[in-house]
Amino acid sequence: MQSSKKIVVLGHFGVGKTSLIRRFVTDAFSDNYKVTIGVHITKKTVEISAENNVSLILWDLEGTDDIASLRKSYLLGAHGIVFVFDVSRPSTFQDLNDNLAIIRSNLPYVPLMVVGNKADLVEEHALKNVIEAQEIAVDFIASAKTGKAVNALFLKLATLLTTNA
Amino acid sequence: MLEQYQKQYRNNKRQFVLINKEGTVIESDQQFLAIEAGTSIYDIHPFFECLPAIVDSDEKEISFFCVHLPIEENFFVVDIKFLVKKEHVLLIIDDFTEHYHSYQNVAQTRNESVIKSELTIIKNRELEERERFKNNFIQNFSHELRNPLTSIMAIVAILGDTALTDEQTKMLDFLKESNTNLRLMLEDTLSIGMIDSGKLKIQANEFDLHSLFKLMEFTYKAKAQKKGLQFLCRFDDKIPQYVIGDRLRLFQVITNLLDNAIKYTHTGSVSFNVLLNLKRANTVGLHFEVIDTGEGIAAEDKEQIFEGFNQIATGKKTNGTGLGLTIVKKLLALMGSKIVLQLHQDKGTTFYFDMLFKYPLFPENDRSLQENTKTIKSESSNQPKYKILLVEDDEHVQATLFKMLLKTNRFQINLAYDGAFVFQEVVNNNYDLIVMDVNLPNLNGIQITKLIRDFPFKNIKKIPIIGLTANVYKDQINQCLKAGMQKVLTKPFEQEEFLKVIYKTLK
Repeated sequence: MQSSKKIVVLGHFGVGKTSLIRRFVTDAFSDNYKVTIGVHITKKTVEISAENNVSLILWDLEGTDDIASLRKSYLLGAHGIVFVFDVSRPSTFQDLNDNLAIIRSNLPYVPLMVVGNKADLVEEHALKNVIEAQEIAVDFIASAKTGKAVNALFLKLATLLTTNA
Repeated sequence: MLEQYQKQYRNNKRQFVLINKEGTVIESDQQFLAIEAGTSIYDIHPFFECLPAIVDSDEKEISFFCVHLPIEENFFVVDIKFLVKKEHVLLIIDDFTEHYHSYQNVAQTRNESVIKSELTIIKNRELEERERFKNNFIQNFSHELRNPLTSIMAIVAILGDTALTDEQTKMLDFLKESNTNLRLMLEDTLSIGMIDSGKLKIQANEFDLHSLFKLMEFTYKAKAQKKGLQFLCRFDDKIPQYVIGDRLRLFQVITNLLDNAIKYTHTGSVSFNVLLNLKRANTVGLHFEVIDTGEGIAAEDKEQIFEGFNQIATGKKTNGTGLGLTIVKKLLALMGSKIVLQLHQDKGTTFYFDMLFKYPLFPENDRSLQENTKTIKSESSNQPKYKILLVEDDEHVQATLFKMLLKTNRFQINLAYDGAFVFQEVVNNNYDLIVMDVNLPNLNGIQITKLIRDFPFKNIKKIPIIGLTANVYKDQINQCLKAGMQKVLTKPFEQEEFLKVIYKTLK
């Protein structure tokens, strides 16, 4: 059985949304930052089990520090949300709980994953302090550069979506 | 004719595509996207897989902006409008590839600059944090060393007054010299911490420049001779005797330069010259230089030697923190001057700086160091006994101070360890002076002083108080003075300095 699930990846600009998707889809990484404008859409099939595959349609949205201004059409029909922040830049997560509340008010029943990217730039103990201080419930601390937790993140979301379906 | 122009200039960047609600293409005008009738729209690009959600929604018109559509060999950036009709869905696709590419460049520049400035702020904050941690550590560490060093210096002074064999005297001299070195290194470390944390403020007081020169000449002539070096000194006669500035910091700069010169010179001479650059109205410009015939400095190390904790490899082992020249550079910068290093072609170096001073036309102070010393000596004999309360919780420090006072045979001393006992003592005795550590348990020296100054009995509220502290910060010293202490002595101090302050306060 194969189904398609729309996953919207969002967060501030420069947090590495595109890099996470590129790492997941093509297992590649580039240090060159190229701004995303509008939306890029890619597709990858994930094998949940021998009989169960799911096609993830990944919507890589332009970064914004004002989630409330996000166009509603981009979120229409989303099955899952990945909210990405940059662990090395506090401005990308200091309003995280407010941003998550806005997303949840728009898509109350859609699974939401919170991902701290660029773990390779911050020491582990400092990372722990940052997260604790901000009182953030983080699902994954990932690194698109090293590949840390990238597959695990999308696999978990895919599994969650097929289980809930 | 018009038809020709219309063909040439009509906007051919808009494409209309009609699809049924299952996603099969019914009709397409093929303006720029190759979408054939009869094909599934889902096969064109994954973006179109959003169709079921659009059809299922209540909206009749939904727009998507700036959608990137890589189709076959081409790469389009489009706005797409879905118009949901009863039987089918109309797609209006506008190609804005060029427009969005130019916007991409603007966004790229903006985002990169925002991220860069944000990361710079974070990096600077981290550096400041590290610097603050380092300075706090250095300051706390230096303070902690002051108490035991005071005890050692005091005991050495007391030992010096006892009957010693020649060998013991030699050993004691060595101990004295080591203590002095340790004290100087401690002062250096503390100074650098204070400068870096912005806590060191430059004073502007009138002082006797000539006596400072004489002191330097006397001290360094002896040091140079001890090492077999010539010490040459030249002071311009026209330099005013009194100037306004920070004597302590100028002293620190000159001693650091001279100590370094003597340390790294093994044959030849060290010269200390102070020359007049200019003199007008009440301003005088002086040129200070220290010249040595020492090992010299490699040209590539010229800048490095002014950085903290650096000792250039010279092949010979030398003592010190490596902070001397850093302190010189930073102190001079605080005083509005700059140290300059000149490398000699053959051997040695010259360090020089220029400094402006105001000088008073009618000096207030003309007492010399020698006169002060004389006062102490004359006061230490043929005088009545004074009653002193010594309050100190560190028993080693207390014991050494007690001995210092006792051996003068001028004082009757009572001891207290705890601030809470001070009141009982002052009520039951007639003290001439209280010597008190500032950081006492239960009730600190500042609190005690305030309470004593508020006493209803005149004989108690007016007892002079000398505070002792390992804290060298002006803030705390000011708090002590504001509370009513007559004088605050910072640890470590020499016996002579301690007694001098006591006599002066009693007077």
